[in-house]
Amino acid sequence: MSDSEPLATDDAASADVATRSDSAPEPVSSNGRLLSWVSTVDHKKIGILYICTAVFFLAIGGLEALLIRVQLLFPNNTFLSPDLFNQMFTMHGTTMVFLVGMPVLVGFQNYFVPLMIGARDVAFPRLNAMSYWLLPFGGILLYFSFMTGQAPDAGWFSYAPLSTKPYNLMPAQDYWIIGLICLGVGSVAASINIFVTVLQCRAPGMSLQRVPLFVWMSLMTAILTILALPALNSALAMLLIDRLLGAAFFEPARGGSAVLWQHYFWVFGHPEVYILILPAFGMISEVIPVFSRKPIYGYAFVAGSSAVIVLLSYGVWAHHMFAVGLGMGADMFFAVGTLLIALPTGLKVFNWTATMWGGSIRLTTAMMFAVAFLLEFVIGGLTGVMFAAVPIDWQLTDTYFVVGHFHYVLIGGTVFGLFSATYYWFPKMTGRMLSERLGKWQLWLWVFGLNATFLSQHVLGVMGMPRRVYTYADNPGWMALNAFAGAGAVAMAAGTLVMLLNIWVSLRRGEKAGDNPWEGFTLEWATSSPPPPENFAVIPEVSSRRPVWDLDHPDAADGQREQTPADSGWRPDKSITSIWAFVASEAVFFLLLLVAYVVFNTDLVGEITSASVLDVPRTALFSVALLGSSFTLWRAEALLKVGKLSEFRLWLALTIVLGAIFIGGQAIEYYGLISSEVTISDNLFTATFFTVTGFHGLHVIVGLIALGVVFVLAAKQDRHVLHGTTLKAIGIYWHFVDVVWIFVFCIIYLGFMQ
Amino acid sequence: MIELISDRALWNWWSPAWFVAAVVAVLYGRYPGWTSLSKSLWLIAGLSVLVFAFVSPLGVLADGFLFSAHMIQHLLLLLVVPLCLVLSLPPSSAEPAFSGTVDEGSLRKMMRRVMKNPIAGWSVGLGAMWFWHVPAFCNAATENYMISVVRTVTFLAAGLLFWWPIYSPRKQARLPASHAVVYLFSACLGCTLLGIYITFTTITVCPAFASPEERLAVMIALHDAGMTSSVDQQLGGLLMWVPPCSLYVAAIVSVLCRWYAVGEPGEAGLAVTRTAEVR
Repeated sequence: MSDSEPLATDDAASADVATRSDSAPEPVSSNGRLLSWVSTVDHKKIGILYICTAVFFLAIGGLEALLIRVQLLFPNNTFLSPDLFNQMFTMHGTTMVFLVGMPVLVGFQNYFVPLMIGARDVAFPRLNAMSYWLLPFGGILLYFSFMTGQAPDAGWFSYAPLSTKPYNLMPAQDYWIIGLICLGVGSVAASINIFVTVLQCRAPGMSLQRVPLFVWMSLMTAILTILALPALNSALAMLLIDRLLGAAFFEPARGGSAVLWQHYFWVFGHPEVYILILPAFGMISEVIPVFSRKPIYGYAFVAGSSAVIVLLSYGVWAHHMFAVGLGMGADMFFAVGTLLIALPTGLKVFNWTATMWGGSIRLTTAMMFAVAFLLEFVIGGLTGVMFAAVPIDWQLTDTYFVVGHFHYVLIGGTVFGLFSATYYWFPKMTGRMLSERLGKWQLWLWVFGLNATFLSQHVLGVMGMPRRVYTYADNPGWMALNAFAGAGAVAMAAGTLVMLLNIWVSLRRGEKAGDNPWEGFTLEWATSSPPPPENFAVIPEVSSRRPVWDLDHPDAADGQREQTPADSGWRPDKSITSIWAFVASEAVFFLLLLVAYVVFNTDLVGEITSASVLDVPRTALFSVALLGSSFTLWRAEALLKVGKLSEFRLWLALTIVLGAIFIGGQAIEYYGLISSEVTISDNLFTATFFTVTGFHGLHVIVGLIALGVVFVLAAKQDRHVLHGTTLKAIGIYWHFVDVVWIFVFCIIYLGFMQ
Repeated sequence: MIELISDRALWNWWSPAWFVAAVVAVLYGRYPGWTSLSKSLWLIAGLSVLVFAFVSPLGVLADGFLFSAHMIQHLLLLLVVPLCLVLSLPPSSAEPAFSGTVDEGSLRKMMRRVMKNPIAGWSVGLGAMWFWHVPAFCNAATENYMISVVRTVTFLAAGLLFWWPIYSPRKQARLPASHAVVYLFSACLGCTLLGIYITFTTITVCPAFASPEERLAVMIALHDAGMTSSVDQQLGGLLMWVPPCSLYVAAIVSVLCRWYAVGEPGEAGLAVTRTAEVR
C-alpha cells in the first residue's frame, strides 16, 4: 500500500534521482550513474530499461532462431540434436513472447503513456520499478535452466502431458513455470499501473474520448493483461503442484486432463495475441496521421473496435484446439466467433488506408514501416481467417503454415509497428535523429527477410512439413525452400544489426532533434527532447484529440472543425481503482481453480471425496467467523469515516481476530486431514481441494498482514491511513476474499454444481 | 426442413402467446405518448418474436423434446423480446415511474428503486438464467405447465429489468458508458460460465429432455441424423454461451457509439459526477 502515498513524494524522489544523473553540472562517477538507473522510479528511465532488456533478450531469442534455421538448412542434418532442437524452439518462443514482445511494448507504454496524457509520471512509480525488476528476475530464472543441463523443451505452450513429470523429469520445466509466474506477476502489476494511469492522471480537458490512440490501445492491452494473465498463472500453479507435490491435474494416466491444460493455456494464449498486437495498432495509429498530415480517419471506430476485440478475444480460444476433438457443435461456434473477431481487426486496415488517402504523405522510415505493417499484417491476418475454417485447420495445423501465419502477424504486425515507433519516437527519447539512410536499409532487409522466411514456410506447410520436428527427409523442393527461409533469417538478423548501429551512431553524433521534429500532434511533442524529469513545465490546454496541432495552428484548430466529448473533470481514486483491477485479476484466477474443482469432482468415485473426508459443520462455523469479519471491517470503515478512532481500532482488531480464527480453523482442518494421510497427491479431489483452499488461505493471510499494517499505522496516527482511502482499498480486497470463500464453501463443502 | 414446417403436430396455433401479444399491442396503442414509427416497429418485432417462440415448431420442440430448442426459446424470451419492448418505449413513458409525487404508493417507490439499481437488473437477469437451469427446476418447468408459465413470466420480467439500465427510454436513468460496458461484459462472463458448464458437464442438466414421454416423428429423424440427447445438451450449452455474448457485445458497441457521439457528453459527464457524489 506504500504506493498509495501522494504523488508528490514520488515526484520528489524521481526528480532527486534525475538531478543526480542528468542535470548535475559536476561530472558524475559511473558508479552514481549506474545507481541512478538501478534505483530509478522515473517512468521514462524504467521504459528505457524495459526496452533495453527486451533488446538483450531479442539477441538471445534471435540467436536461437538462427540455430534452428541452420539445423533445417539441409535434410537429415545433425547440427543440432533432436533434444537441443526442442529446447531451441521452446526457448525461442518463450523468449520472444514473454521476454521480448511484452516487455518492449510495456516499455514504450511506460515511456509514452504518461507523456501523451500530460502526466508527471505513472500512477504508482515504485510499483512500476518492481514490475520492471521482475522481468530480469524471471528472465534469469528461465535461462538459469541451462545450468541444470537442459533447457525447457515442451514448446512455448508446454502441452500436457509432455510437460508433466512422467515425460519431463528434468528441473528445466520447473524453471520455465516459476520464471513465467514471475513475469506474469510483473506484467499484471505493470498493467494495473497503466490502467490506473490512463484513468486517473490525464491532463485537464483530456476526456477518455480524446486520448491519443496509442494511449487507448495501451488501456485496452492493460485490461486484456489483467484478465488474461491469471488464467496462465492458475494453469502454471496447477502444473507446478503436479510436478513438485505429485498431484495429477494434467496427467491423464492418473485421471487428470491434458485437454484442460490446453483450455487454460489458450484462454490466456488467445488474448495474449491481442496483448502483442493492440499496442502496435496504437503505434501506427500515431505514425500514419502525423506523416499524412491528417487526423486519423474514424477515430471512434478504431478505438471502439479495439474494445470489441478485447471482449471477443476471450471467447475464441478453442480455435487453437480444433484438432483436439471438441465436437462438431463447439467447432462450429468457435469458427464463427473467430470469423467475427476478424471484422474489428480487419476493418481497421481501411481506417489507416483512408487516413493516408488525400494526405500529404512523407515517406520517412517510420512511415514506411507503418505502410509495410499494413501490407504484411494483412497477409498474416488473412491466413488467420483461413484457420477459422475447421477443415483447413485440421489439414494445416502443426505444419509450417501455422508458423508462417503467426510470424507474419507478430513480425509484420508487432515488430514493424515497433520499428515504426522506434524511428518516430527515438528523437523524443534521446534528442537526436536516427539516420534515414540506415533506416531504409533496415526496412528493406526486414521486408525481404520476413517474406523470404515465412512465405517459404507457408509453402512448406501446405506441402506437409510438420513444425517442431528437428529434421526432414529429402523431399523435392523442401531443401530449396528451407534454404531460402534461412537466407531470410540472416537478412532479418542483419537488419537488426543495422538498427543497433544506427542507434549507436545517432547517440554519438546524430542530428539534434528539437522538441517536435515531425510536427507531431500529441502532447509528448509539447515538451523538450528528451523530456525533463517532471515531463512538462506547463501542461498545454487540451480541447481536442490533437492538442499540439491546435497549439501550432490556432486558426485551423480541431475544435473548430469537429466537436469531441468534453472532459467532465472527474478522475477515479488511485487506490480504489487499482484494487478493483487487482480483484478482477484475482477473481479470474480463483474462477479457473474452481472450474478445475468442478471438472474433476463431478462424478468422482473413490474412497476420498468431499463427502467422505470433510467436516462441513465445523468449517461452516469457521466460515461464519470469516464472513463476520467482513461485517466488522465494514463497521470499522464507517467509524473511521466519522472519526471515532478508538472504536474504529476496536472493530479493526476484531476483524483481525475473526480472520485469524478462520485461518486457525483451516489449520485444524489441514492438520486433521494430513494426519489421517489425506494429502494433495492422493487423488483429484485432494489435489483440487488443497489447491483451492490453500490459495484462498494464502489470500486471507495476505489480507491479515495488510490489516495488521493498517492497525499499527493507525495506532501511530498515520495520516494516510486515517484520512486516505487505504482502509477502503484493503476493505475491497478483504470483502472479495470473503465472497470467494462463499463460492468455495458452496462448491466444495456443499457440493453445488456436481 | 420442409418436414419441420409442414408437420402439423409441430405448430401450436392456439398458443396463449397470441392473446398476450394482442393485449400488449392494445395497451401500447392506447398510450398517449405514442409518436414515432421506429419505436412501434420495435414493438412489432418484439411481439412477433414472442409469438414465434411459442407458435412455431420451436415452441413445440422446446416443450419437452429438444433441449437446444428450449434454449433458443429461453434466449428469445429473456433477451430478445424484452430488449425489443424496452426499445419500443417512447421517452415520455418512463416519466411517471421517476417523477412520482411524495404520496405515491410504496410499491411504485420500490419499483423505482429497483429499476434504478443496476445490480438488481444484473442479478435478476443472470439469476433467471442460472436458476432455471438447476436440474430440478428445469425439469419441473418442462413437465408442469403452470411452472412453465411462471418461468416465462420471470424470463420476460427479468429481461426487462436487465435491459433497463442500458436502454431505458429516459436517458438519465441509463448507466454511464463505462459502467454499462462492465455491466454487459460481466453478464457475458456469467452466461459464458453457464454455457461452458452445460456444454462440457457429464451431468444431464434437464433430464426431462433426455427421455421425452411421447415421440414426434421429427424427433426420430433428428435422432437418426445424430442428434442424441448428449449432442442436444452440448448444442444447448453452446447456444447459452455464444449468442447471448454476441448480443451483449452488440449492445456494448451501441453504448460506445453513444459514448463517442457529441451532444450527449454533458449528460454522460453528469452521470459520472453523480456516481462520484454517491461515493
